Amino acid sequence: MRTLLTLYAKELRSYFLSPFGWIVLAFTAIMQGVSLSTAMKILQDTPIADSLVYIVFHTPIFWFYFLFIFPLITMRLFAEEERSGTLETLLTAPVRTSQVVFSKYFAALSFYVILWIPAFVHFQLFSTLTNIPTPFTNGSLLGAFLIIFLMGVFYTAVGVLASSLTSSQIIAGIITICMLVIHYFLGFVTVIWGETSEAVGFFHYISCQEHLHFFAKGLIDSRPIVYNLSMAAIVLFLTHHIVDYRRWKR
Amino acid sequence: MIEIDHLTKRFSRHTAVDDISFEVGSGQVVGFLGPNGAGKTTTLRMLTGYLPPSSGFASVDGHDVFRDPLGARRKIGYLPESVPLYLDMRVREYLTFRGQIKGLRGRGLKRRLDEVLDQCGLQNVHRKMIKTLSKGYRQRVGIADALIHEPPLLILDEPTNGLDPNQIRSIRKLITRLGKKHTILVSTHILSEVAQLCNQIIIIDGGRIKAADTPANLVGQMRVAGRVTAEIKGPAEEIGAALQELKAVKKVSHELAKDGWEHFSIFVESSTDARERIANLARDKKWPLRSLSRHEATLEEVFVELTRKD
Ligand SMILES: Nc1ncnc2c1ncn2[C@@H]1O[C@H](COP(=O)(O)OP(=O)(O)O)[C@@H](O)[C@H]1O
Ligand SMILES: [Mg+2]
Repeated sequence: MRTLLTLYAKELRSYFLSPFGWIVLAFTAIMQGVSLSTAMKILQDTPIADSLVYIVFHTPIFWFYFLFIFPLITMRLFAEEERSGTLETLLTAPVRTSQVVFSKYFAALSFYVILWIPAFVHFQLFSTLTNIPTPFTNGSLLGAFLIIFLMGVFYTAVGVLASSLTSSQIIAGIITICMLVIHYFLGFVTVIWGETSEAVGFFHYISCQEHLHFFAKGLIDSRPIVYNLSMAAIVLFLTHHIVDYRRWKR
Repeated sequence: MIEIDHLTKRFSRHTAVDDISFEVGSGQVVGFLGPNGAGKTTTLRMLTGYLPPSSGFASVDGHDVFRDPLGARRKIGYLPESVPLYLDMRVREYLTFRGQIKGLRGRGLKRRLDEVLDQCGLQNVHRKMIKTLSKGYRQRVGIADALIHEPPLLILDEPTNGLDPNQIRSIRKLITRLGKKHTILVSTHILSEVAQLCNQIIIIDGGRIKAADTPANLVGQMRVAGRVTAEIKGPAEEIGAALQELKAVKKVSHELAKDGWEHFSIFVESSTDARERIANLARDKKWPLRSLSRHEATLEEVFVELTRKD
């Protein structure tokens, strides 16, 4: 456990020791700000029944920047150790592969959570700064941030997996974004092909757009929670085996 | 300390390490010698548990490296060939991190940090970023990392590779000092290094062990050890024939005469010394004999003889 914590602390600190981490932090903070002001503009221009929270997470740019967070925060994790050879010193120290995988994963996830603090602060400050009664319920705020966290749990694991597949950060990033975009479009299948196919239930089940839609309305459902958590577990399990297998193979 | 038994590593179509077995006792400093591509790094990586073997067994201080990898790794300090380090960490920060993942904490860690910084001559760079250090200092950081948890066994893969002569000397001195407290397995292809450092040598080539012995024994057993050179004045052909007749002489070759003296190279069976017989022969025939010397084999000749491709 102490080994895990040491590894975790080192990984998390490295986000803040490199300019890259700060750039990612600035990038998402700006995009969150843009989302919020776009949403406020929409609310101002057109009468709409949805809450501010809902609209912020349904602005056109939301998925664009949201999906890009994951390659940025995960591509370095294994690929860089592999490229520079430090994986050899790391894995010949008395640590387990699982400790290495988990420490990297939880560090990335923690950084991801930190990335969402600005957006959360925006909502908290909204009524104080504008003197308007909060245009959303606590339920929708909680729901939206819960699903944002849950998607992060799953997608960060995907990024860690991609990083363990290659010694090139760029390739790891590309693999991550491709997998996430494919997963994103799978959620649109029922919209494109209609509700007639037999697998409709499955596509609704995995649709991240639908998850977000309901959670941002404050409708919290256990199925997306189970879905994201179990997918993360499966992907991390795979990652553990890939880290070992890549050494075995070569 | 180390036990390796029929260890083999096959890469897709190439056998890098081919059924090797050896043992290293506690307290020895063993040179692991071989040309590039011989399989040294691959063997060391299997021993440290980084690469799994295709077949065979290895253990360190009684811990099977494959069944009990963590137990074995606690006993090993390993310096990989390329000396991989986290370049954007500071020396002290890096060693603190490495000490922690090797199980050191609190005051014990602090004490060891000061000791290894001192031992490896890193006191005046311990606040520097690793990426600003020269190759020689990086090598010391790597060795400090290998030492920090006081492992009984040090495995160093070409620790002087790519250093300048001064740096090589200081690393060599460091290793000599470490050899007093640790068992060391050091791989290298620099021969002068081995002769000075090691009390045991293992020569590997093409994935197989060619010889394993003390430096003195290796040198003594070699064919080159049986070479005698003589400078004699007289009829070259007759001298050659007479030398060939002597007991235990295998081959005589006449090398060109210089200022009237004929030079001969005489190969005799190893472990015999034919000099006295040659001297007697020259005296009997009244041929003036100017010099007669037995060739001292060097490790380099041993190495070439064992690993050359013909
Ligand atoms: N990961 C690998 N995949 C395929 N072949 C390898 C790999 N690592 C080493 N080899 C091959 O194994 C042989 C031994 O290499 P190595 O152990 O690095 O030799 P040395 O350290 O003695 O120079 C070489 O022919 C090398 O090409
Ligand atoms: Mg090597």
